[in-house]
Amino acid sequence: MRAHAGVPPSRRRFFALAAGGAVGAAAASGCAMRVSTGVSGPGETVTLMVKPDDISSDLLRQAQKDIGVKIATVSYDITKLIAMMTNGNPPDLVRGVGATDAPYFAARDVMEELDPYFARSSVLEVTDLDPVNDLWRYDGRTQGKGPRYGMAKDFSQDSMFWYNTALFDRAGVAHPAELEPVTYEEWLEDAKRLTRRQNGQTTVFGGSYNGVSAPTLLASLAVAAGGSIFSEDFARVDFTAPAARKALNWYVEYGRTGVGPSVLQPDPNGWDGPTYQANRMAMSNSGYWLGGVINADAKLAPLSRLAPAPVFQGGRRVSPCQAGTGLWMPRKARNKDAAWRVFEWFFGEAPARARATGGWGIPTLTSLRPLMPAQEAHHQRVLKVQEAELKHFSVIAFTPYATVDSLSAVFNRFAPAAMRGEMSVDTLARHLNSAMNEQLERGKEQVG
Amino acid sequence: MTVRNITPAPDRTGPASTGRPAPSVNRTTRSSTTTRRHRAFYMFVSPWIIGFALLTIVPMAYALWLSFTTFDGISPHWRYVGLGNYRELLSDSQTWSALGRTGLFAVTSVPLSITAGLGLAVLVNRPLKARGVFRTLLYLPAVIPPVGAGIAFKQVFDQNSGAANGVLNVFGIDALGWLTDPHARYVLLMTVLWGAGNIMIISLAGLQDVPRELHEAARIDGAGAWRTFRSITVPLLSPVLLFQTVTGVIASVQTIMPLLLAPGGTTAAVTAIPQSNYLYMMQVFAEYFAFGRYGYASALLWVLFVLILIATGLVFRFTSGVVFYNVDPEAKK
Repeated sequence: MRAHAGVPPSRRRFFALAAGGAVGAAAASGCAMRVSTGVSGPGETVTLMVKPDDISSDLLRQAQKDIGVKIATVSYDITKLIAMMTNGNPPDLVRGVGATDAPYFAARDVMEELDPYFARSSVLEVTDLDPVNDLWRYDGRTQGKGPRYGMAKDFSQDSMFWYNTALFDRAGVAHPAELEPVTYEEWLEDAKRLTRRQNGQTTVFGGSYNGVSAPTLLASLAVAAGGSIFSEDFARVDFTAPAARKALNWYVEYGRTGVGPSVLQPDPNGWDGPTYQANRMAMSNSGYWLGGVINADAKLAPLSRLAPAPVFQGGRRVSPCQAGTGLWMPRKARNKDAAWRVFEWFFGEAPARARATGGWGIPTLTSLRPLMPAQEAHHQRVLKVQEAELKHFSVIAFTPYATVDSLSAVFNRFAPAAMRGEMSVDTLARHLNSAMNEQLERGKEQVG
Repeated sequence: MTVRNITPAPDRTGPASTGRPAPSVNRTTRSSTTTRRHRAFYMFVSPWIIGFALLTIVPMAYALWLSFTTFDGISPHWRYVGLGNYRELLSDSQTWSALGRTGLFAVTSVPLSITAGLGLAVLVNRPLKARGVFRTLLYLPAVIPPVGAGIAFKQVFDQNSGAANGVLNVFGIDALGWLTDPHARYVLLMTVLWGAGNIMIISLAGLQDVPRELHEAARIDGAGAWRTFRSITVPLLSPVLLFQTVTGVIASVQTIMPLLLAPGGTTAAVTAIPQSNYLYMMQVFAEYFAFGRYGYASALLWVLFVLILIATGLVFRFTSGVVFYNVDPEAKK
């Protein structure tokens, strides 16, 4: 029996129709999602999931002119990325932090191996790649070895620091040596002497030293102290091991003294740039990239110096990169050949040259290094220190079993109590071991 | 079968037996009117029903399914764990602490904000000069987006450059770390008060509905201002206050304000929230976006959903005897 047009649908029928409509709309939205990626055909449009600062609209237009590929961008968002990947429709290239994202995603088999692409590329030759690009390698066990899964767009050695000579002179503190590293202990002593306080407020921070994130900082400090926070298989952390404990102790002491921003005293800007530029920070643990801010300030640039990464007494001299931000290609990307053409253009052609001359990072192709700013005296001073520091670069492998954010969350849950003196460093180390190892164990099970 | 085909059965006692067609026509007309009304009703509600199904039922069902898995969005080896996530939740001290803090926050912030909103409503309900300006100014913070309010609060309460410590310094008091423990909870409460304009507007509408004669009669009987407020205004406002209590409790357990007060502006900010502001939704947010545990976070959300239903039921249960309805709510049943 057909329902006549004039008969109202029964409630049951109405809800069935509504549910049908909902499913239909969901299917339609799924189709729409596919279209929105902009993959209109091979070699025509490539979808990049990036942050707005990564690529300007001018560059997007230039890409179409230079290589005949239209680039559609999607704002970087991990939840959106997961949704697109779950939907079987990921972007063609995705932003990532080599130091921490590369092992995490590679271990989960969602990244495309790029070695075959590099092998046939005339733009990105493997011999021209800076060693920092090894952050994007993972052999199934250790970061820094094995196939390449991405490339850094530029980089800095993130344990180095900038300092403001005027603030050193005002406090009567001797400048650090140009090419020889200070020890972490000396750095902290200097920071205490450089700090100025009034009515409970810090008017001048002696020094900021937070790394790119607490876990990458602690991993770097532990290597500098002669050990590691991770076990050999990266499935556990041990902050009670001598080197890891030394690293932890130093960072807790840094937080306790309040010489710089920390989880106890967060910087409202979220980064050092504005405070350093306002002459309210004597030392900033930032690598070469901060030169992008400093060089643009005619008053600040001549007063600023870049210094080598500190060392621990009796430790190793290491100067790692804690970020190495770049791009990777999802294994299920639909337009891989066109994506690789964009990859080559982004890392080896006009955008790469523009980044190299901008002073916001060291180029990741050695052939582009001559383009780094060197016209002014302060440029040349910085370049001399930076070139000497490159010799001490090494990849500090990160665990593939947890996101850096999850380890940061655990650290920030317990560390404030230790920094306030309410918990000993040994107790903190045990709490971190317990909570982080639980995360790592779960991650290892997921990776299989 | 159509409406037009319906023919009334012959009824010897009824009008049909007389052979007069008019009642049949009337019935058909009534029937088609009803049909049109039904159709219009379903047409009007269908966008909502479809939206509700797509944006509420489907996601909730999906989250329920996720809550039985170890899904993290990326890893290939996620699996079905049955009630495993719910069992883990029972023994997760961080979750219980967050839940306890959230309960404390709800029982503190809801009465505080309702009292503040009602107080402001009483003030701007009086015959003042430029009353409209005051009402606008007091309501203005409520229309500022929470993200903007979060940024403003972070700047005002920054330890080293914020205005709040500047004021303290004027009085010779040392600066406080407002955005870290143990003071961060007070800043969070201040953000709640900042939005009291919303409650003020609703309470003001309620106050203007209170019949003047009752106040005049009370005054003639010798009741003072406080007695009039307590015995006449508050009872007549009780349905409004109940509404604000229910929505306030729901909003307070779902607040993401601690995230907006945390350093940094990304999802990673959840990793740096002071423990005193680490409420239940922060735990959910962290499990989703920092730990990537979609299954466990979905279980947390389902538990929260059930808890909100229980809390709402309890509020209704315990206020049923004290809420005074000017119109009998049973009358239209």
